[in-house]
Amino acid sequence: MNDAPRDSETESSHTPQSGELPQSDEQLMVAFARGQADAFTALFARYKQPLFGFFRRRVTDPAQAEELTQETFVALLRAAARYRPAALFRTYLYSIGFKILRAYRRKAAFRAAFLGEQPPGREPAIDSAIETQALMRQAVGRLEQLDREVLLLREFEQLSYAEIAGLLGLPLNTVRSRLFRARLALHDLLAAPASHPAAQEFAQSKERL
Amino acid sequence: MNTATHPVAPEEVMAFLDGELAPAEAQAVSTHLDQCADCADLAGRLRATSESLARWTVPPVPASLEEAVMNEASYVAAGRIPAKPRPRFSTGRWGWKQWALGGGGALAAAVVLLVVSSAILSRPVRQAARSVEPAEEARTEAYYQPQPTDSAAPMPTQSAGLAQMGALKSPALAQAAKASAEGRAGGGGAPLPTLQAAAAPMIARTVSLTIVVKDFAAARASLDSILARHRGYAAQLTAATAENAPRSLQASLRIPAPELTTALAELKTLGRVQNESQSGEEVTQQHADLAARLQNSRETEERLRAILAQRTGKIEDVLQVEEEIARVRGEIEQMEAEQQALEHRVDFASVDLQLTEEYKAELNSPSGSVSNRLRNAFVAGVSNAAETILGIVLFLEEDGPVLVIWLAILGLPVFLLVRRYRRIRAKL
Repeated sequence: MNDAPRDSETESSHTPQSGELPQSDEQLMVAFARGQADAFTALFARYKQPLFGFFRRRVTDPAQAEELTQETFVALLRAAARYRPAALFRTYLYSIGFKILRAYRRKAAFRAAFLGEQPPGREPAIDSAIETQALMRQAVGRLEQLDREVLLLREFEQLSYAEIAGLLGLPLNTVRSRLFRARLALHDLLAAPASHPAAQEFAQSKERL
Repeated sequence: MNTATHPVAPEEVMAFLDGELAPAEAQAVSTHLDQCADCADLAGRLRATSESLARWTVPPVPASLEEAVMNEASYVAAGRIPAKPRPRFSTGRWGWKQWALGGGGALAAAVVLLVVSSAILSRPVRQAARSVEPAEEARTEAYYQPQPTDSAAPMPTQSAGLAQMGALKSPALAQAAKASAEGRAGGGGAPLPTLQAAAAPMIARTVSLTIVVKDFAAARASLDSILARHRGYAAQLTAATAENAPRSLQASLRIPAPELTTALAELKTLGRVQNESQSGEEVTQQHADLAARLQNSRETEERLRAILAQRTGKIEDVLQVEEEIARVRGEIEQMEAEQQALEHRVDFASVDLQLTEEYKAELNSPSGSVSNRLRNAFVAGVSNAAETILGIVLFLEEDGPVLVIWLAILGLPVFLLVRRYRRIRAKL
């Protein structure tokens, strides 16, 4: 288990850095659209991990998450010529990611419902190394879909309330109340009573940490 | 936590922790947190949740992904956008379940299509025939259009020929008439061969004329005067004055054959000739046959009369001869009538005339005032609407039950599948 930089990249991404490419995300994107190839390399370096995490936390199958990440970057590349720096780059990127995620869910659900395929879902057996993720995934999976989405966007993608509202098409107040509800519900789920074996195990793992 | 008595809403505590509050508000919440145990506890729980979640880490990006994306980037940067990648979800192999679902769906769709289309097709179509006729009319009109210009040039020679023929024929006709009159008088001998000897061709002429006139009433008047001048008459005449349509007149005229040429010329001055056709039927042979048969019958009659006058036999024989005479007499009269009709056809040319008014749309149509028309349109609209509604109701009554049955049969599986789809979708 590598130490995945959860938010360091996203945090710093939209502010100019004092590196070899002292540019904001938006400037990099525009530069790439103009034909500067290494601008995308920089952008990719900034966002590969956050975007991979975005899919990895939302899709159970790791291979599928990888594929969706790739698809999002490919879509970004193809749309580069049409890019206008109107919104924050990361909001733009995540909105593409969301579209691809929704399409994947739709297709997967369709296949499961109408064609009798096995729905992609719970990983049955978990080895101890990824137990924490599994438990977390399980707990988060218990939340209502929209609550879950708001929570994940805030906690992992580090988006502001306004950005979440824009991305999900919700009023700002709804985002706030849903986020609040989701956090408290998750707190209860994680500090769950002993009746839930998964929560129990999780509590133990917490102690170990 | 009671928001009514509390100065800081719990959500504001969360917003404070997320750094979503304006500096002034943040200051207020911060000071409140120091004082209020409840809010501090809430803040603690929220922080703990975030911290727990922070442990949900993700493995680093696989090298294969980086490679693929950078490959793609180099393609795009080079201006060569590769073809769209194949769809991620391969179709896979279809099991019995897929086949059953697909086949069942196709079958159901076919059945629905059949039911609906048969329901629609079984309804009588009222307007189908109507639409064909105007096209047909237009076509024939177009076909005849060039005719008038054609007929204008050859007209003089043609009329000259006709005049000649009329001149030739008139003495022959007079003779024939005389002959037939003699024949009817029952005189002996053979008066008819004179006609055969004359041997002028007997031609029954038929002319068909379509004329478009500017002033219908004037044309009508001059038509009457033309007929009077040439001692012709109208065997049949129909005039129609339709609303919002050009007036028209259809007449079957009989004009003495010698006068035909001049009468036609005069008729053509009535207006624009739209269509003209002339034909002549050669009836000489027919007439000669008839005359020969007539002569035979007359001779038979003569002989029978002679028998009756000379011989005195039994009463039955006398009666038989008289019966025979009556029969022959009947034949003769019939043939005479035929002959007369034939001669009449030769004497009088038949002109089928169609007079049409050049249509002028009139602003103040005679059909009535604007208010009347508005009212009529409204009534028609209401009755159309009623018809439509009635039609829908009838359709529902007639086919509704069947539709409901099919909807239930097909709708239930679809409903179940859609529900399943929604559930799975929500879980993903």
